[in-house]
Amino acid sequence: MNVDEFAKVFGERFPDAEVRISENKQPHPRRRVWVTVGRDRFHEAMAFIKELDPTAQFSIIIARDAGETLEAKYHLELFWEDGESVSLIIGTSAPKENPTLPTVTDVFPSALAYEREVQEFLGIRYEGIPDPRRLFLPDDWPEGVYPLRLDDTGIKPEMVKNAGHPYSLKKEGER
Amino acid sequence: MRVPPTLSTVLGNLFKKPATNPFPKSDPVPVPEGFRGKLVYDVEKCVGCRLCITVCPAGVIEYVPEVRKVTFWLGRCTFCAQCVDVCPVNALSMSDEFLLATADKYDDNLRWFHGEEIEEFKRKLEEKKKARESFKKEARKAVESEG
Repeated sequence: MNVDEFAKVFGERFPDAEVRISENKQPHPRRRVWVTVGRDRFHEAMAFIKELDPTAQFSIIIARDAGETLEAKYHLELFWEDGESVSLIIGTSAPKENPTLPTVTDVFPSALAYEREVQEFLGIRYEGIPDPRRLFLPDDWPEGVYPLRLDDTGIKPEMVKNAGHPYSLKKEGER
Repeated sequence: MRVPPTLSTVLGNLFKKPATNPFPKSDPVPVPEGFRGKLVYDVEKCVGCRLCITVCPAGVIEYVPEVRKVTFWLGRCTFCAQCVDVCPVNALSMSDEFLLATADKYDDNLRWFHGEEIEEFKRKLEEKKKARESFKKEARKAVESEG
């Protein structure tokens, strides 16, 4: 199945999903499928992808703070056994007032580490995640502070330390 | 007892010269061409455009607004030479010097254009300004007396 076929099949199954094909030029020409699905149908979409290609390679979740919403993009590599693979970036978003997304660990077990990471760094809550512990942040990290958030729940200015340049240190009368 | 498979190599190596460089007794291994060693700063050439501050990934450089120059603390330098590449007047260059160990992180060897040098530069600028002003005054006086 190539890029166009996949976009067609997916678009027919999820008519309300936004499907876009991007093409990057030289030096590495590659076509990618970008899909945006609402979070209520997201789990269904992931299950459908797994059904289309049971060997689908789940790569990574990249999440970001998009102002009003929290966006998560899931990168997958499909049909890699038939030569040129389909690179799929499937995304969903959750409003900040209710930042919950369905977990996909039952479909792609390797998503667990990325979901834990997104959970601690952006404060997205995954419903039904089997292991909700923190992954990277230290145990004494304050609750309700999400390092990658751009709003008030992000890192506070007093948490940022800079060892300083000796020129500016001298100005303040030290050393 | 089984003969270890490396035995012949070990025995052969026993009769070879050691392939080491006994550093403090000998010179260090020579650096290749284009080696990125200690950063060298030429204050006279600097025009204070602050491009090096924008490209420096490590916060080595601070701007000195009074004299429109920059000051360096190489304690943080990562030797990426991006400031050398971006400098429009070639006031920066990489030297071959790499033996930079010190007991003090603010050692003079790791600083460029700091402390006394800045003060001296400020004094020089002041003198130049005064000289220019007095020259102007004299010129004006000369014009007035002629006219």
